[in-house]
Amino acid sequence: MAKYSKVLYDYIGREYERKNLYLKEVALLQEEIKTAPKSDKNALKNQLREFISKKDKNPYLLKLKEYEHKEKRFLEELQSKTKTYMETMDKTLSSAVLGLEKTLFQSKQKVDFYEAFTGLTYDAEYAYRESSINVKLLPTIIYNIKRLEEELRKAEKFHSEENKETIRGEIDKFKKEQKAVYDHRLQELKKKRRDGLISEKALKNGQKELKKNYQYAVNVKEYEHPDKMKRELVKSKKFELKDYIKVNRRIVAADIADARRTTPVETMKTLPVNTVLGALVPGLGQLLNKQPVKAALFFIGLLFIYAAAIPYALGYGNYQGNGIAGLITLAEGARRIDRSLIFMIEGIVAIVLLLFAAGIFIANFKDIRSVEKSYIKGSREKNWFETTRTIEEEGFPYLVSIPALIVISFIVLVPIFTAILLSFTGMDPRNQSKFPWVGIQNYRLIALGQGLAGSVFWRILGWTLIWTLTATTLAIFIGFGLALLANNPRIKGKAFFRMVYLLPWAVPAFITIMFFSIMFSNTGALTEIVTNVFGVSIDFKNNTFWSRFILVMMQGWLGSSYVFLLSTGVLQAIPEDLYEAADIDGANSWQKIRKITLPMVLFQTAPLLVNQYTFNFNNFSIIYLFNGGGPFNPSVYGNLAGSSDILISYIYKLTMDNQYQSIGAAISIVISIGLMIFAFIGYKNSKAFKEERL
Amino acid sequence: MKLFKKKQEFYLSDRQPLTLMGKLMLTLSYLILIGWSIVIVWPLSQMVISAFNGNQGRYLILNRVTDGSYEFSMKHFRFLFEETLYLTWVKNTLFIALATAAITILIVSFTGYAYSRFRFKGRKPSLMAIMLIQTIPAFAGITAYFTMHSVISSVAPFFSRQMMLILIYAGGGIASNTFILKGYMDSISTELDDAAKIDGCSNMKVYRLIIMPIVRPMLSIIALWSFIGPFMDYMLPRVLLTNPNDYTLAQGLFTLMNNRETLNQPAFAAGGLLTALPIVILFAVLQKQLISGLAQGSVKG
Repeated sequence: MAKYSKVLYDYIGREYERKNLYLKEVALLQEEIKTAPKSDKNALKNQLREFISKKDKNPYLLKLKEYEHKEKRFLEELQSKTKTYMETMDKTLSSAVLGLEKTLFQSKQKVDFYEAFTGLTYDAEYAYRESSINVKLLPTIIYNIKRLEEELRKAEKFHSEENKETIRGEIDKFKKEQKAVYDHRLQELKKKRRDGLISEKALKNGQKELKKNYQYAVNVKEYEHPDKMKRELVKSKKFELKDYIKVNRRIVAADIADARRTTPVETMKTLPVNTVLGALVPGLGQLLNKQPVKAALFFIGLLFIYAAAIPYALGYGNYQGNGIAGLITLAEGARRIDRSLIFMIEGIVAIVLLLFAAGIFIANFKDIRSVEKSYIKGSREKNWFETTRTIEEEGFPYLVSIPALIVISFIVLVPIFTAILLSFTGMDPRNQSKFPWVGIQNYRLIALGQGLAGSVFWRILGWTLIWTLTATTLAIFIGFGLALLANNPRIKGKAFFRMVYLLPWAVPAFITIMFFSIMFSNTGALTEIVTNVFGVSIDFKNNTFWSRFILVMMQGWLGSSYVFLLSTGVLQAIPEDLYEAADIDGANSWQKIRKITLPMVLFQTAPLLVNQYTFNFNNFSIIYLFNGGGPFNPSVYGNLAGSSDILISYIYKLTMDNQYQSIGAAISIVISIGLMIFAFIGYKNSKAFKEERL
Repeated sequence: MKLFKKKQEFYLSDRQPLTLMGKLMLTLSYLILIGWSIVIVWPLSQMVISAFNGNQGRYLILNRVTDGSYEFSMKHFRFLFEETLYLTWVKNTLFIALATAAITILIVSFTGYAYSRFRFKGRKPSLMAIMLIQTIPAFAGITAYFTMHSVISSVAPFFSRQMMLILIYAGGGIASNTFILKGYMDSISTELDDAAKIDGCSNMKVYRLIIMPIVRPMLSIIALWSFIGPFMDYMLPRVLLTNPNDYTLAQGLFTLMNNRETLNQPAFAAGGLLTALPIVILFAVLQKQLISGLAQGSVKG
């Protein structure tokens, strides 16, 4: 036997007396049983059982049945009555007015009918309240709409007796007069300027003001022209009408929503049946909960799940793959043209689609359950007007994030998951079209430095780390040093220096890198200069040490610009009085730099400087564009990498040029994990994270 | 009159007079600053000079300006416009850059607003996830991009490689830009929103009428960075775009340098100059905003 509560609760927990006397009695008895001493329990239980068995003869329920019967007949009658009533209406009225008239007529009838039953049941009370709101508000609204429509019609028929030509003439004349006034005042202003009474800027502003005044006056005058007048009149009346209808519809809807919230609902139901029924069929539960528009929306979700996501995951409608099954088979034993990679990607896409489907299921389930639960407790389900309000307020952040979610899922997550899975397969030059799962073999090859592709991993990692540290640190040192020097108040021409130092950052890096590459080639300009100055000819691009050295120098050249601009900005923001105080205390300039400048600058730019290290760790363009990762030294580096290759360019070569995709993927996963840990530690320690501002 | 003339003999500066050591240091500072300016300007000037040197064939001739082998000419520019697809590349890059900026702004302005102004379930974990995803280099997915494109374009034939590239740029930028914008919005008092809401504005309207005008500077910086990105990037176009008619500037210009058949270094210099000039001007005018935008994002994030 399910429990009934003695009172009803609405959405904020206000209590309402039950009107259903039968349920009230049951609830009272149930409560008595609970509190009664053990000896009385059985007697009370019997009493309850007896009471329930006489349900058919319960006077209240009989009354209720009678009411329901009457209501049904009343509503049927109302249908036909409305029809005859509407036929008597003036057919020339607009649809808006006709619709409202219909509602008003029905509401009037309903008020008369339901008033008698408000004490009997909350449903009748609600119907009564809703209808009375309509009866109270609609007449004024209908009257005003009619009035506005009449005004609009008048405006449309508006016809001026005046002669258009003469008015045109008048307007032109007025324009000329105004123009003359404008010119005259402008002359005055100019004279003042010539006499030096006002500044150039004041003259300009004055001119602007005069022009505005002139245009304003002319615009106002233009309205006297009948055509223009009519156009504007019709426009404004149309807007007024539209706006009035919109606003007042909302007002009525809000009042009705208020009535819904304060009139509870009573039901015999104690189990969430709809939730069970609708759990797997989005839309059905909402329909049973009497929320048709919401149901329609969830029905779209239903279509997505059963017509797109699940069939796709099962392998129907795929481009080539076999849904999720394709992830396991990887096209093994499939047709010759089938490619494992496509099977894999489609498998991942299928999983993403299923995740979306799961999201819809969860949202659906939660929605039906919460609506039905509160219905059983006593609060009326929301109508569409209330629902849109909730969506606008609480659902807003989710709603607006959907585009981002979709783009990130397919453009960022799918490729990343592909890379992760790929790193566990054997995709190499010999197995391009079809490749099997190989477990952690690729990672083992990398870790142990074995195999054609894995053997150079540690050596390249070593250079990558050296490169990252030296190149970035050099750039930071140069940039910060220059910023310090240029920030000296005695230095003149700061704007010039800043302009020049901006250049390496502003000129797209690929251009400068390629140009340096030309200049450092065998016959290049810089090679020549070095030869002439130092008397030794160095083949920069074919010498490992010099290649690396120049790369670091170039990055110093390129990266210092950014650091310079950044620290200049911070330096200028350091308050001058700190230095003055230090001066008074007798600090020398080195102490001032060490104790004031450095901490201030470092504190503010630290995250960006850390980013510079990650940037250089992944700085593909400088390595690839300068020398293609060369010079190549097969005895040490094998055929796949050059001696200035860093990990990222090595991955590129493995993947794009030499088709060792799976090892490339394994290396990129290793890098990504490393960077993620690095970033995570950084963010964990950041102020924003600690302050829970996330 | 005598009194006024005497004034020049007074030491009137706020700062202390320089000692000999100070003078030496100042001179040294000037020397270093000017020296570095030369280091920066020299290579760039070489590029400008060689772009206009008509005496070059397919290779650059530098360091020979004074001995008579220099001849001013526009022939490399002419070559660029007539013999190469330079204008197509410009058009492609502009298209990609504009579309990237537009999509980024559209998506990010919503997510930034949502994360800054609303406290919803899953906010913190999703923010953390975004933060970590953002550290994965776009590179990790290169194998997939190519195949993904062939899958998508089989369903929707109009989906070109360039569109794929745009989506990759925009998708990759969502995370970090959301952070930057969120940080900026957090600094705006919520009293404004509340006032607007009391006056009956919906969330959308609050964004459109109140927040957006205030964050417009940051939005324009984000748009600008997203716009410049495709001009600077070489790697992704290289992976995705295979048809010379689809090339972006970086990729197209590289063919003038490393491809034996199309090699023309002076034309590369000319093209580089033309490409760099508008961007340099843009940076010079907006340097303050660009820098502050960067700093903002990092400090708040």
